Amino acid sequence: MKRKSQDCKSRLPDNSAMKQQQLPAFRLQLSANEILSGFFATGVFCLGMGVILLLSAKSIREIEINYTEKCASCAKLREDATNFDKECNCSVSFYLPQKMEGNVYLYYKLYGFYQNLYRYILSRSNIQLVGTDVKDVRNCAPFKTSDEGLPIAPCGAIANSLFNDTFVLLYNFNSSTQIKVPMVRTATAWWTDKYVKFQNPTYQNLSHAFEGTAKPPNWPKPVYELDEEDPRNNGFINDDFIVWMRTAAFPTFKKLHRRLHRIDSFTEGLPAGSYSFIINYNFPVSKFQGQKALVLSTLTWSGGSSLFLGLAYLVTGAVTLLAFFSMMAVHLKLKERKTFFLQ
Amino acid sequence: MQPGSHRILDMTEPLQWARYHWQRLIGRTNTDDDERPYSYSSLLACGGKSSQTPRLAGKHRVVVPHLQLFKEEYEKFSGTYVNNRIRTTKYTLLNFVPRNLFEQFHRVANLYFLFLVVLNWVPLVEAFQKEITMLPLVVVLTIIAIKDGLEDYRKYKIDKQINNLVTKVYSRKEKKYVDRCWKDVTVGDFIHLSCNEVIPADMVLLFSTDPDGICHIETSGLDGESNLKQKQVVRRYAEQDSEVDPEKFSSRIECESPNNDLNRFRGFLEHSNKERVGLSKENLLLRGCTIRNTEAVMGIVVYAGHETKAMLNNSGPRYKRSKLERRANTDVLWCVLLLVIMCVTGALGHGIWLSRYENIPFFNIPEPDGHTTSPVLAGFYMFWTMIILLQVLIPISLYVSIEIVKLGQIYFIQSDVDFYNEKMGSTVQCRALNITEDLGQIQYLFSDKTGTLTENKMVFRRCSVAGFDYCHEENAKRLESYQEAASEDEDSAGSPSGSLSNMAKSRAPSCRTVHGRPLGSVSSNHLTGSCFALESREGASEVPHSRQAAFSSPIETDVVPDTRLLDKFSQITPLLFTPTDETVPDPPPETLYIIDFFIALAICNTVVVSAPNQPRQKVGLSSLRGTPVKSLEEIKSLFQRLSVRRSSSPSPARGKEPSGAPGASVSRLALFSRTKPASPAEGELSQPRGGPQDPDGAAGPAEAGKAARDAGVAGGTAAPPPGQPSASSLCYEAESPDEAALVHAARAYRCSLRARAPEQVVVDVAALGPLTFRLLHTLPFDAVRRRMSVVVRHPLSKQVVVYTKGADSAIMELLSVASPGGPGLEKQQMMIRERTRKHLDDYARRGLRTLCVAKRVMSDTEYAEWLRNHFLAETSIDNREELLLESAMRLENKLTLLGATGIEDRLQEGVPEAIEALHKAGIKIWMLTGDKQETAVNIAYACKLLEPNDKLFILNTESKGPGLRAALVITGKTLEFALQESLQKQFLELTARCQAVVCCRATPLQKSEVVKLVRSRLRVMTLAIGDGANDVSMIQVADIGIGISGQEGMQAVMASDFAVSQFRHLSKLLLVHGHWCYTRLSNMILYFFYKNVAYVNLLFWYQFFCGFSGTSMTDYWVLIFFNLLFTSAPPVIYGVLEKDVSAETLMQLPDLYRSGQRSEAYLPLTFWVTLLDAFYQSLACFFVPYYTYQGSDIDIFTFGNPLNTAALFIILLHLVIESKSLTWIHMLVITGSILCYFSFALAFGAVCVTCNPPSNPYWVMQEHLVDPVFYLVCVLTACVALLPRFIYRVLQGSLFPSPILRAKHLDRLPAEERTEALKKWRGPGQMGQLASKHADHSAVESERISVSDPSAVFAVMSATACAVEKGTLPVCETALGSDFSETKASGMAGPSKD
Repeated sequence: MKRKSQDCKSRLPDNSAMKQQQLPAFRLQLSANEILSGFFATGVFCLGMGVILLLSAKSIREIEINYTEKCASCAKLREDATNFDKECNCSVSFYLPQKMEGNVYLYYKLYGFYQNLYRYILSRSNIQLVGTDVKDVRNCAPFKTSDEGLPIAPCGAIANSLFNDTFVLLYNFNSSTQIKVPMVRTATAWWTDKYVKFQNPTYQNLSHAFEGTAKPPNWPKPVYELDEEDPRNNGFINDDFIVWMRTAAFPTFKKLHRRLHRIDSFTEGLPAGSYSFIINYNFPVSKFQGQKALVLSTLTWSGGSSLFLGLAYLVTGAVTLLAFFSMMAVHLKLKERKTFFLQ
Repeated sequence: MQPGSHRILDMTEPLQWARYHWQRLIGRTNTDDDERPYSYSSLLACGGKSSQTPRLAGKHRVVVPHLQLFKEEYEKFSGTYVNNRIRTTKYTLLNFVPRNLFEQFHRVANLYFLFLVVLNWVPLVEAFQKEITMLPLVVVLTIIAIKDGLEDYRKYKIDKQINNLVTKVYSRKEKKYVDRCWKDVTVGDFIHLSCNEVIPADMVLLFSTDPDGICHIETSGLDGESNLKQKQVVRRYAEQDSEVDPEKFSSRIECESPNNDLNRFRGFLEHSNKERVGLSKENLLLRGCTIRNTEAVMGIVVYAGHETKAMLNNSGPRYKRSKLERRANTDVLWCVLLLVIMCVTGALGHGIWLSRYENIPFFNIPEPDGHTTSPVLAGFYMFWTMIILLQVLIPISLYVSIEIVKLGQIYFIQSDVDFYNEKMGSTVQCRALNITEDLGQIQYLFSDKTGTLTENKMVFRRCSVAGFDYCHEENAKRLESYQEAASEDEDSAGSPSGSLSNMAKSRAPSCRTVHGRPLGSVSSNHLTGSCFALESREGASEVPHSRQAAFSSPIETDVVPDTRLLDKFSQITPLLFTPTDETVPDPPPETLYIIDFFIALAICNTVVVSAPNQPRQKVGLSSLRGTPVKSLEEIKSLFQRLSVRRSSSPSPARGKEPSGAPGASVSRLALFSRTKPASPAEGELSQPRGGPQDPDGAAGPAEAGKAARDAGVAGGTAAPPPGQPSASSLCYEAESPDEAALVHAARAYRCSLRARAPEQVVVDVAALGPLTFRLLHTLPFDAVRRRMSVVVRHPLSKQVVVYTKGADSAIMELLSVASPGGPGLEKQQMMIRERTRKHLDDYARRGLRTLCVAKRVMSDTEYAEWLRNHFLAETSIDNREELLLESAMRLENKLTLLGATGIEDRLQEGVPEAIEALHKAGIKIWMLTGDKQETAVNIAYACKLLEPNDKLFILNTESKGPGLRAALVITGKTLEFALQESLQKQFLELTARCQAVVCCRATPLQKSEVVKLVRSRLRVMTLAIGDGANDVSMIQVADIGIGISGQEGMQAVMASDFAVSQFRHLSKLLLVHGHWCYTRLSNMILYFFYKNVAYVNLLFWYQFFCGFSGTSMTDYWVLIFFNLLFTSAPPVIYGVLEKDVSAETLMQLPDLYRSGQRSEAYLPLTFWVTLLDAFYQSLACFFVPYYTYQGSDIDIFTFGNPLNTAALFIILLHLVIESKSLTWIHMLVITGSILCYFSFALAFGAVCVTCNPPSNPYWVMQEHLVDPVFYLVCVLTACVALLPRFIYRVLQGSLFPSPILRAKHLDRLPAEERTEALKKWRGPGQMGQLASKHADHSAVESERISVSDPSAVFAVMSATACAVEKGTLPVCETALGSDFSETKASGMAGPSKD
């Protein structure tokens, strides 16, 4: 030690746990019992969760009415784009065997519509939709401007392809009386979308706000006339529009369209009985072999009516328990040899 | 460049300066041409160098003094030469960015990513926003650039330090030497250096304070040799007594252009009168060397700065690719293939998807320019889009992470306290930054012997004189308990001879102190360019390790005499003083033997005596030839010169002393009972010889006093005790450590070598006083004779005596059969011979280096006759070598055996244990040494490289039948055959069956060839370890080169990848750090592959649901950050800190190392299993959410969120499953990653309203965090994805644990159980079980079996036979031939005998 010179620092490395790689490791010192009980707990949890989820999914009432076939003539008409101004209605009746209690939601469902294509989802202008600059159409190719050169509002392929079928649901109260089921067309979009992400340009009069812009080519009416009944549901903050603009993840998707207005005879929900939809058929799907459907559904905390999650939990739980039992057997066999589960 | 700018110009100078510049301006191109013909013609005129072609002649430089007188000429010639400022940095502030980028884009991986960035700018295939794709590349480039910048800055600081060292330069202005920084030294400057100063630039030596014009330099900083080299003043100047006055120096020097050949310097010095003096390497002082033993020197700079030989030899750091990285690179290629397959799938899918539609669906919007593309073309574009989208499959962050991880690993290796060597104050140095994991895969280890396995400190251990063994027990005790730090206290306390230890005590520090100067320490490593070395040397500057005089550390010099022998020695001595000796019977012959023995030890060598910090000539009688002679040529020339002189002027003593019968000499010596000064004969003899030089006897004490004073001034050490003034201040400088050890041993018996001159040697025998031996001849050591002799005229008996020492086998044959002293003496001789032989065997068994000492007394007539023949031999021109050899043979016969010595080259601490551990680890160890066979084998036994019951196959000498374990000993000449193309296969086959191979007498080139052969033919990982310059080539050839930073200087360390201070550190370096580094890094690389494949596949699966259109369901920022931020730190931490088995267990169970040798952590299978698992996990991670949300109203990016979150947890938990130890750092980093992910997602979701189209992260995470389904999905996904691996790991741990896992389990046991389990593990049963389980062709166990079968013998036979067939060298052929014919030859003289 006396060699250690006063002015030159020693090269002796620090003898600390960190530097000597002697840090205590809290590797879970997994003994057999811990592992086994872990497996057991997981298995039981998964099984339980699966049962709960299945029960919850079972409680959901859902009915899907595919009207692709039933409105074939309308579909034929829509295949020709020149017939865009001809109205086409068709009626689809169905029977609701059990009443749907609580909140009932009306969805439209599209099959084979790829709303997630790369160039398609790119073709929109968030700047425009948030209302800051109504003439910003930068990313909207190929629907940037109209033939007259005016910027389209809302621009882009997504907006242009807005789903525009309209539905009226009639409840056959008795053989002669049909009651129009009251529906609410607002609060179907995300709250944040409606109040933050989508904003109309700030003008007193909405039609003035969109002055100098053109309507999307496929649209019959400009954006400020989307909802004739509720002037506050017009422009970019129209719920139907907002819902459509949130592009679906898969080619088969449903989108929330209407909510049941629980008044009068529908306070409890939709009673059982026969119903019919009057469909104003506008949206062409037959050209890409797509299908359209309407879905009436209730909701629970666990989402929709899909049984998958519950089943998956059940299977996982079963597999885990199986693993638990086999490991238990191995463990019991090895116990005399004093070998533990190491890992 | 205006080197003289800081000097005041006098009146004429501006004019000359202007003219010079004018000339340069108008004839710029001519300057060189002017120079060329001049140099060429002058060279031709000079003669002898006419081999230069005119074209080459331009490559000369002219150096004129940097003086006022030559201002003009100076500007012309030297003005363009670089000055002494050095810059080893790669970058400057200005060029850093462009140059660093340029260098980084040399890497293929970076180019690939650059290509991707460019690709993304093509609108047709654009998949991301253009700027985002650049981000990973920019981050990677920045990290590497910062790392490079820091490294360069470090170099810059060292450069600055070196540039600002101070030296004495002659100033034109002040007309004297002034202090100036190294960087301001220019070519043509005169430099004045004192002893122990470092030479700042290559300069021609013009003056030395040594009267003979000699200067000694130590070149350890340059070539690693620690002995002193001798340089000479330019011939003309050598004769001058006074210092050369630079003002009067009017010569010019012309020499070759700067080159890196250390051993060549050609040029001449032309005086003003056109007279020329040739210059050679003897005249050149090299930058970085240290002046030793010379008071002051002066020289003129010829090469400066980067043009010095030292700098030209300084190659940059090494760049190696480790095996693991090479393996990983091939797997990266597999990933590329996978990527291509996935992209082709995407392209095909898109094409097929498109062609399914009769007319274009309106959601498939056309290109920006309005027209639609055909399915085929769209598919083609989609291919490139996919490449951009799935680029992360090629792990760009892998390379950065590997670099960071390796830095971390190196940091931990370097801070391992076990590698710290207290004596040297040094620890392990990692010089190569990127091959740490190779340490865990070594299969073959090539080791040097001397200095690597041994300490290279020769210690006198035992001797046998006249048939009596003196085992020097006290000395042995001293050695056992030797601690260099505490030696002084210990010795004075425990040693029986206090005076001797005092002697050593006072002397040793005085030797040491001189070198501890900051200048010396700093500069010697500037050459190395390594800051590590810089620090270590600075740190060590106070540490006395024996640089000053080679081979004189206290352990070597402090010999404690054997009390028995000392008794005998002292019993005799007074007898010789008593005048009444005639009345006493003749002393027993044993006494005479003892005296002769020690005299032989003291004089039969080439040791040079010097006082520390003293110019040599004051101790040596004539320093010119008194220095250690280096090469054989030098020795020969010296030999010749001496002999010629002798024969031309015969010694007066020769005629005077009539031939005395050898038998009479004994009695004469006994009768000779006067003190020396009283002896008229002695006086008569010494007078003429004393001549110009100091009579040694008188000079000794005075000198010693002076030396001691100096030492006291320099180091503040105590003055030597008055009783022993002279000896205490002497330093011995020997050519070989053995010689030094013997001289020191002799001195311990007060028979100390006092001075050596070419013609006489002075030995101070305690009782007899100084004896001056007239040195008639020195027959130097050579490899053929394996002995050396001195012929002296004995000052007492006046006889010509030949003292010979050499290898036992060489001496024993030459002993005289008939003793001239009659049958009684003959019988005694026989007995001595027998007993000595027994002792020799004993010594050899103990691993001692044995030497025999013999003498022969010649009659004057005999001598005269021999001399005549010898003179003929010397003067003959044809085959002089053989004649000289014959002549030596004639002299060295009829010898009388005096005794034998056993010198121990002490094994380094812990070497046998280390070798044993490495053996157990399955590493094959080869010892490659330049030493002779006997020594090599002895050391091999001592360090357990060879086991006592090994059967040795000694190619070239003997061979034996097959045994249990085999080892091969092969000599250099045989090696030459073995390395031939046709024999390589057999040779390797043979060596594969041997546990250990010892190659002796191997040249440095052969060493590297052996390594190269094994490495390339067997495709194994090799490691070479060595300490000296002769190991450099071997170190460079091996996969990993390790240098021992010991006595032999820096050369090996410079060439190495790692430098340790002792061999034993190797075992921890390999077994622990190697294992860790390898396991860590391979697991981390695998994890990286897994991580990228698992994550990227999510995107790929999504393509099946979006018409293969290249949509990603994740925001790009999240996508980029996922790899760069959220999941990058945990694997890096894992790569640095993962510890599968504790260091203690790894050291105790070297078997565990084998898993690394077999690359078990990273086999091709492992890679594919990992990929498969990654595929499975990505499938689970994608399809669980997919089926959950199928048919719902979920949008793209809301769907992406649970995928990302689940993937994050899966990837992190996968790491937790895989890692064997989790510390709080792991926990911290993993928690940090998760927090980082969530906070980023939340912040992004809160802020990003319109940003970053088309993605829509707004409020997604917030929505999900209150959605129970989100949690349910994430939990289920993680369970499903990780369950298989977890179950596999658990079952593996209980059903089929690997040895590593079992060892890991041991770590958890309580202490007693653990030792019990370890014992069980090491037990034979377990070993067998292990071996059978993990049998390998290279495993020891299997060798045991294979060797015992006859095929091994066959291999030996065939190899030998082939060697014979192939043999071209006659010597070797015969040796092998005899070998082959008599298969059961006698055992060699070594431990194998019994």
